[in-house]
Amino acid sequence: MPMMFDHGQPSYADVNKDILSTMLVTGRGYWILLGCTMSFAGIFFFMPWFYQLFVGVGAAGMNRNAVWGTYLSNFIFWIGLSHSGTLLSAVLHLTNSPWRKAIYRSAEAMTLFSLMTAALFVMVHVGRVWFVHWSFPIPNQMGLWPNFRSPLMFDVMAITTYLTASSIFIYMGSVPDFAAVRDASSGLRRRLYSVFSFGWRGTAREWHTLGWAYTFFAIFVVPLAVSVHSIVSWDFALSIVPGLHHTIFAPYFVCGAIYSGTAGIVTVMYCLRRFLHFEKYIGQVHLDSLGKLLITLSLIWTYINILELFSTWYGGTSYEVEALKFRLIGFYAPLYWEMIIFCAFVPLLMLFKKIRLSWNKMLLISVLINIGMLTERFIIVATSQPRKFLPDAFGFYFPSWIEISITVGSFAIFATLFLIFIKWVPAISLYEVKETLKPLRRDS
Amino acid sequence: MAVMGTFAYEEDFLSAAENLTNSGFDNISLLSPLPLEDAQKVLGLGKSPVRHFSLAGAIIGALSGFAMAAGTALVFILPTGGRAVITIPPFLIITYEMMILFGVIFTLLGFHFVSHLPAWRDKPYLSSANVDRFVVVVEGADSEQAVKAVTIIRDAGAEEVRHVEDSE
Repeated sequence: MPMMFDHGQPSYADVNKDILSTMLVTGRGYWILLGCTMSFAGIFFFMPWFYQLFVGVGAAGMNRNAVWGTYLSNFIFWIGLSHSGTLLSAVLHLTNSPWRKAIYRSAEAMTLFSLMTAALFVMVHVGRVWFVHWSFPIPNQMGLWPNFRSPLMFDVMAITTYLTASSIFIYMGSVPDFAAVRDASSGLRRRLYSVFSFGWRGTAREWHTLGWAYTFFAIFVVPLAVSVHSIVSWDFALSIVPGLHHTIFAPYFVCGAIYSGTAGIVTVMYCLRRFLHFEKYIGQVHLDSLGKLLITLSLIWTYINILELFSTWYGGTSYEVEALKFRLIGFYAPLYWEMIIFCAFVPLLMLFKKIRLSWNKMLLISVLINIGMLTERFIIVATSQPRKFLPDAFGFYFPSWIEISITVGSFAIFATLFLIFIKWVPAISLYEVKETLKPLRRDS
Repeated sequence: MAVMGTFAYEEDFLSAAENLTNSGFDNISLLSPLPLEDAQKVLGLGKSPVRHFSLAGAIIGALSGFAMAAGTALVFILPTGGRAVITIPPFLIITYEMMILFGVIFTLLGFHFVSHLPAWRDKPYLSSANVDRFVVVVEGADSEQAVKAVTIIRDAGAEEVRHVEDSE
């Protein structure tokens, strides 16, 4: 097992002390930051949403030619971001990669909160949110059930399953750590964590069962995550709209999702390291491994993009060619080329080890990748529907201030949820970090 | 009565556990701050029954997923473009998602069932076992067995040995 620590190996007691102190000791800075993100979410997300509910969904920039807009592109973006955590954690668990252990808990939390944010966008998009239960598999008053042949129903089932599985996955892995919080606290917190940990003692039988259950979760979660973003891609690809009707869409979306999610992990790791002082646990080995993964994903993503261009040109369908032309040289062409630069060329810088090992440079690259990926999702939605088939059906879509504000506000919602999370769940798994330490021996 | 021995070193802890099992103690618990494969081997823990829960959940989920999709299509028939009422490809996706959903939920239930969690009554426990100590607990021992267990635990290099009630 490789050495994981840049600053020397901590003891088991250090691990408990360092990680639990981030939960049990709260400074003024945390409350100020939480207050800011909550206010930001309220002002930029919820107030415009309530305004939209009041005046109707027409307040958004969507129109007859473009009935899908920024809300859905944000939905794809947040679902995509969710793919890093649980999927990566599960894959690395099954492949027994030791560098996963310090970063997986926060990555899984990222999955959960990204999914919640994505679900909010569905509610914003549907307009009359009080009818959102119509999408659940329950019959209405006429005895009519939702149509399970629709990709939108696939979506409901997939996201419900993914949200449930991700919540259980993160909970299961946290049970031993909840017990550690229980033992390190007193009063109400102790009582609360006694409930959360279900009386965990850390017996060999409990560890044994947890290990098996966790492996089965990982086995379930990997194909689930792949299916979720494939299904999201079918929301588009199963239509006959030029620019969307591609068989490559499922792998394209899955690859893009893992790509943006992995970049998201780098951003989150930077913040954890910087603000929770986890330098001891999140080191260059993590950065290096994530950098290599990002390069690989970037190359796959670039390949699929080239393939999409090639198949449209080779197919020669006039509608498809027109949609492609609009994408490459139309109104939104600057955004398309920005995406290509940020997602295909900038990541190549990580081929240099010096850049891969620099936290600031990796932060910048990861943020640029996610800006590129957000743009990609916007381009998919904004350049396809308004250019359907015949010119008399052509339209134009530009987001309104409400959509832009809600997009900005969604990042504040994610940040708020994450800030709450780090005070309730240890951001790094205590026992898995201990597994990477050399055991203390009598003769050492 | 229960006997608890606390160890600072993993190797001593494992040695005590092995000696106890070799001496015929079968009601022992090994508490550690991290999963130890060797401790599980000492207790002879093989394949976990959790896997049966996972399999059962997956099968029940798949069957109920397909039944839900097909059943709802039959309850209110909406013929679309001459296609079959029960269309296999889309319904397989619902089947697949439900298989995973139930598989995950049943695995969670299996974890709780097999590991006897939640623990409804207090059991011998030391909070240091969640930090940096390894604890051997011999439960349900009579006074003669307790003396023997204390000797084995002390000989293995325990930092501390104490007697506690089985259930507080």
